[in-house]
Amino acid sequence: MISPNDFETQAPMVTRVFDAPRALVFRAWTEAERLARWWGPKGFSVQVGTLDLRPGGMFHYCQRAPNGAELWGKFVYHEVVAPERLVYTSSFADADGNTVRNPWSQDWPLEILNILTLAEQDGRTTLTLRGGPINAGPAELAMFEAARGSVQQGLNGTLDQLDALLAEASA
Amino acid sequence: MAPPSTTSDVFSAVAEPQRRALVALLAQGERSVNELAEALRVRQPQASKHLRILREVGLVSVRGVGQQRLYRLNGAALKPIHDWVSLYEQHWNEQLDRLDEYLRELQQEEQAHDLPE
Repeated sequence: MISPNDFETQAPMVTRVFDAPRALVFRAWTEAERLARWWGPKGFSVQVGTLDLRPGGMFHYCQRAPNGAELWGKFVYHEVVAPERLVYTSSFADADGNTVRNPWSQDWPLEILNILTLAEQDGRTTLTLRGGPINAGPAELAMFEAARGSVQQGLNGTLDQLDALLAEASA
Repeated sequence: MAPPSTTSDVFSAVAEPQRRALVALLAQGERSVNELAEALRVRQPQASKHLRILREVGLVSVRGVGQQRLYRLNGAALKPIHDWVSLYEQHWNEQLDRLDEYLRELQQEEQAHDLPE
């Protein structure tokens, strides 16, 4: 079992600076009607089933594609410290809130732990996201580490070149 | 965290930094094991060990030319990682772009409310 502590000291997966106070960023991440305005792919509408912002509580939502296809997901909150810290697991879900596999990839981790921290300076907020798969088998962990390592160590440039190689390979 | 010692898939094969470096080098073209070892500043047996693992998952292939063994990248074997990384990055970039937009809107609304009569 992997606990949040195992991820605290890792390099962040994602950081971003927003030109907004952190109270606002925190509310955007934790209030149903605000989440519905930005969470999910562009062009999708988001409907919130439940949002129970406390440890053990769930955010259960449905993203509806322009073609009408529905995709359910959920967060389960572990820690809620407004306006600076939010720890939750995220996963795909069914309409009843049960955790399900990524519909496109059997190799996607079933549950990802997310540790969101917000630091404010001069009215600007630095968002940092850490985390990784929990309750994951060795294959899931290895996959996650590989992909994150690839992102951070600039394999992306290599991967761009690979597009050409792949086109060659499939020709 | 170290992947299991039996490296069975392409994801765990490139979870190791030196093997990622080998993949990056081979993306530039075919190389001998000596050239690769030199570029990585490791001894040849160490480079060979990593190359064997990359071969086992189909990421590199090898051919003998005279006394030399030349390694080349099999780019198609990296496709699962390519897809995953692209999706992951794209997901978060899009989400945070949307959040950024939304925060701007919110603050504009607030400023509009705060304007004096």
